[in-house]
Amino acid sequence: MDHVGPILAAAPVTLGVTAAIFVVGALLGVVLVTGRRSGNRVIRSTARTAIDVLRGLPPIVFLFIVFFGIGSGAIRLSPIEAAVIGLGLITAAHMAEIYRGSLLAVGPGQFEASQALGLSRTTTYLRVIGPQAIRVAVPSMITWAISLLKDSALVSTIGVAEIMSVTNQDARSSGSSLTPFVIAAIVYIALGTPLAFLSRFLERRLSLSVRS
Amino acid sequence: MNGVERPPGNPILRLEDVRKEFNGHVAADGVSLDVAAGQVVAIIGPSGSGKSTLLRCVNLLEVPDSGRITVDGQPTDAGGRVSTRDLMNLRRRVGMVFQSFNLFPHLTVLRNISLPQERVLGRTRADADARSMALLEQVGLAAKARAHPLRCSGGQQQRVAIARALALDPKIMLFDEPTSALDPELGLEVLSVMRELANEGMTMIVVTHEIHFAVDVADHLIVMADGRIIEQGGPKSVVNDPRVPRTRTFLSAIRDR
Amino acid sequence: MQTSLSTSLLNDWSDWLPRLLDGLVVSLQVTGLSLLFGFAAGLVFALLSSSASPVVRWPSLLLVEIGRGMPSLVMLQIVYFGLPGVGVTLDTFPASVLALSLTTASYTSEIIRAGLRAVPAGEREAADALGMSRADAIRFIIVPQGLRIALPTLMGFAILVLQISALAFSLGLPELLSQAYSIGASTFRYLDVLVLAGLLYLAITIPASWLVGRFEGRLATNR
Repeated sequence: MDHVGPILAAAPVTLGVTAAIFVVGALLGVVLVTGRRSGNRVIRSTARTAIDVLRGLPPIVFLFIVFFGIGSGAIRLSPIEAAVIGLGLITAAHMAEIYRGSLLAVGPGQFEASQALGLSRTTTYLRVIGPQAIRVAVPSMITWAISLLKDSALVSTIGVAEIMSVTNQDARSSGSSLTPFVIAAIVYIALGTPLAFLSRFLERRLSLSVRS
Repeated sequence: MNGVERPPGNPILRLEDVRKEFNGHVAADGVSLDVAAGQVVAIIGPSGSGKSTLLRCVNLLEVPDSGRITVDGQPTDAGGRVSTRDLMNLRRRVGMVFQSFNLFPHLTVLRNISLPQERVLGRTRADADARSMALLEQVGLAAKARAHPLRCSGGQQQRVAIARALALDPKIMLFDEPTSALDPELGLEVLSVMRELANEGMTMIVVTHEIHFAVDVADHLIVMADGRIIEQGGPKSVVNDPRVPRTRTFLSAIRDR
Repeated sequence: MQTSLSTSLLNDWSDWLPRLLDGLVVSLQVTGLSLLFGFAAGLVFALLSSSASPVVRWPSLLLVEIGRGMPSLVMLQIVYFGLPGVGVTLDTFPASVLALSLTTASYTSEIIRAGLRAVPAGEREAADALGMSRADAIRFIIVPQGLRIALPTLMGFAILVLQISALAFSLGLPELLSQAYSIGASTFRYLDVLVLAGLLYLAITIPASWLVGRFEGRLATNR
């Protein structure tokens, strides 16, 4: 079956794009959440608005804004660049919320105890709050990564040659219309499954709750 | 009624050699027990002694690995094979009150008591509600009929739970540490309802830490440890003059609390 | 033909707004119908996936995993471009509703299943001890409470479905994004019209998310 070949060959592109978006988003998310928690009112509401907007827009709409809107004007963006920026910013917003939730989950008691012990702010975040927050955040981050893998199909609409666009081409050129899509579906599911297992495994390992 | 080890006549509940294991831990180790109609049996013992497990075997919330349980003349053999119909019949005749009340929070107090009557006994809504109100009067909570459980205190919730179990006209009432989750004050309300119930002649099996209640109300006291009955008899004699050293240690630990 | 007297952005926006609003209506219709069918099917799958019998449970779980594992875009394209290959040809609107309903059903099945699992075990025991049948326990005790527990997450997901509906643009459905894109293609003012379309989406999703947050808070205090 020469349907499978080209579709599988595009899988690395899908994985690569997803990974790039995730990394960009995870890093920018730190910036956003810091802004969200800032003492400064202006910074705080700007961050909050940015997060709300990025999470409230349909990803494909934002992608189009970045690619067709901005990326074909003064600044020229390639499809992949637009994809990483567009979906990267959306990821950053979701990551910011995940980080915020995980910091809240650590509980004020930890912060108070650190203060009482006279630990510096940096040490507190780096050694006390941070490690605990990460444990809470990781499962959600992986869940998002899995969604991202599926959302990456979006970027076919702006011309990135990943799984979805190859599938579309294949369906158009070959006679059969159902088979390529079914194969694409299977490939996406297959790519996502290891991540799902990883998530469940890590959830159990990282759980700090008292074993009943 | 005086507590005797083997009551005369046909016991309303008979446990024969009941055994239950969880993952290698033996919770009930071949326990045998007879309970006569109208008897009030209290079961005490350290945590993990198998008291709750034994109680839960009576209405098959736990299915014994071996042994036989006969309720009101109807035997159920162990090994997990009980027909659904027999199971439903059994549970109709045995009522249970839980440590954590387990009321249905999305239903009003009245509905908590009426719904099982409608679904299990087939009573009409009108009949069920009438019975529910009568029971609520009995436990002193008629005013709370339209309230939701979470708006009631723990003691009130437990009394509603008792009414809910009684609404099905069971022959035997099982109580699994009914006051352990309650402040002492609230516990007293519940214990007085249980006392009344005993005076009316209900057959009751009560797993409890309340030694005073056991001494005042129970006809028969059973002490369990490590899945076995280590001592039993009239409550006053067991508590004041325990024969088995383990019972002695347990009782003194409770008294010191 | 009406000629604009000024080239200010707001004038353009008001010119484009009627078409975009037509598109928004289509988006909302597709979303609404998909939620209706999707939630109903999701509840059914949640119950099937929770069944004690493996014969019922495994196929149901498999279908749900497939539905969740597939990108929504693939689901849309399979239903619209793929199905004609096996003789089922649907128009863009029904195809969009079918595809989104399937995606919704898969996700909500898991959300509801988690809600059902979250019902305290003690209540199941009480229902059993009272001699209530399995079916009655599920119908009167477990499902009503499971749904209450799942409600905030379901509402959050509903907002997501509106966002996903924009993908139906790839089928040619005349929903909001599609209208915006075609205006952009003819005027080359992509940024301006897409931002307006974005604002329309935000006008619904941001207040809706805020409402869900408030509702979640109220639910928490009531328990």
